[in-house]
Amino acid sequence: MFWESILPNPLAGAAQAVAAQPVMDDEVFAGFYERSARSLWAYLARTSGDPALAEDLMQESYVRFLTAPNPPSHVADGEVACRRYLFRIATNLMRDHWRRPRAASIEDIPENFFAQPSDASQSESRMILGPALAKMRPRERQLLWLAHAEGYSHHEIAEVTGLGSASIRLLLFRARRKIARLLEEGNRGRRQAC
Amino acid sequence: MLSACPRETEVKELVELGQWPQACAPELRAHVDACRSCKQFALVAATFRSARAEAIAEIKLPPPGVLWWRAQLRRRNAAVEKIGRPILGAQIFALAINLVLAVAFIGWQARHGLSWLTWFSSPASSAQAASLHLEALWSPELFSSTLSSSIANPLVMIPAIATLALLGGVAVYLASEKH
Repeated sequence: MFWESILPNPLAGAAQAVAAQPVMDDEVFAGFYERSARSLWAYLARTSGDPALAEDLMQESYVRFLTAPNPPSHVADGEVACRRYLFRIATNLMRDHWRRPRAASIEDIPENFFAQPSDASQSESRMILGPALAKMRPRERQLLWLAHAEGYSHHEIAEVTGLGSASIRLLLFRARRKIARLLEEGNRGRRQAC
Repeated sequence: MLSACPRETEVKELVELGQWPQACAPELRAHVDACRSCKQFALVAATFRSARAEAIAEIKLPPPGVLWWRAQLRRRNAAVEKIGRPILGAQIFALAINLVLAVAFIGWQARHGLSWLTWFSSPASSAQAASLHLEALWSPELFSSTLSSSIANPLVMIPAIATLALLGGVAVYLASEKH
């Protein structure tokens, strides 16, 4: 009586852990991925300035989303909440990446890293925005992208970045003023060059 | 000054709909040209929207099945690790108990002169031990003296220590599994 009641418990617990239901099934996930991956990659690529890193972080974000212990439910909370949660994971991953000490060897850097993209392959907005974003702090880039490219509210940005709603307003105001000045200078420079 | 221009919302709507500046009313356009806040907002929002649209068209996505498979693999590995953790804890605990008891036993025996070592070296005593007298086990007067002498007997002590360590390990496993 005792052994039957005591011994199966650890095994049952283990089986439950192995067979625990994922956040969403594979078909629902495929749909969610198709709708959200491009914007997530754009966010990561433009705020990090490294498309290869953006792809790695994007994939890791989805894997962490699927293995998270308490993620928002796609059915109960909706896709918007899932998307916000995904952006939050990606933001944390990017922050961890920036905090990590850089110890890359020259052999680890991809061949095309130093190649300057030709003007023909770069669009006008990217040619203006790229240098301006490069002069911004990582946190400012994130805030600006989330607010102006993704159209998130201050409250949503606070959820994604983990900052307070009140400080978002101030930080975003300063970042916007700074990048507007840089964009205006960029536009002026391009007009003079033409 | 943190207060935004009240007309910023109108500009935002137009940018989000992709209608800025083509579908903008001349009156709003004149306001944006004159208002520094709205002008900056329009410039920044339109640039970011345009950059987003280009970036979205640029990426070739890996298939979702790969990510799904990776997630399943990671979940399974995490579960296996979770199962293995209490077992490893129990093994370490059992080993530690064994070592502590062995050291204590050797220390205690060393103080009594290690008399039982002669039991192994003498063939006659081995033969005596092999012949088991069952009646001696049931003799009440001998029970108290047997009990005290069995503590010094390695044939009793070693299985007792092993059993204790085994039960200790199982207890720790069951306790840590609940956590």
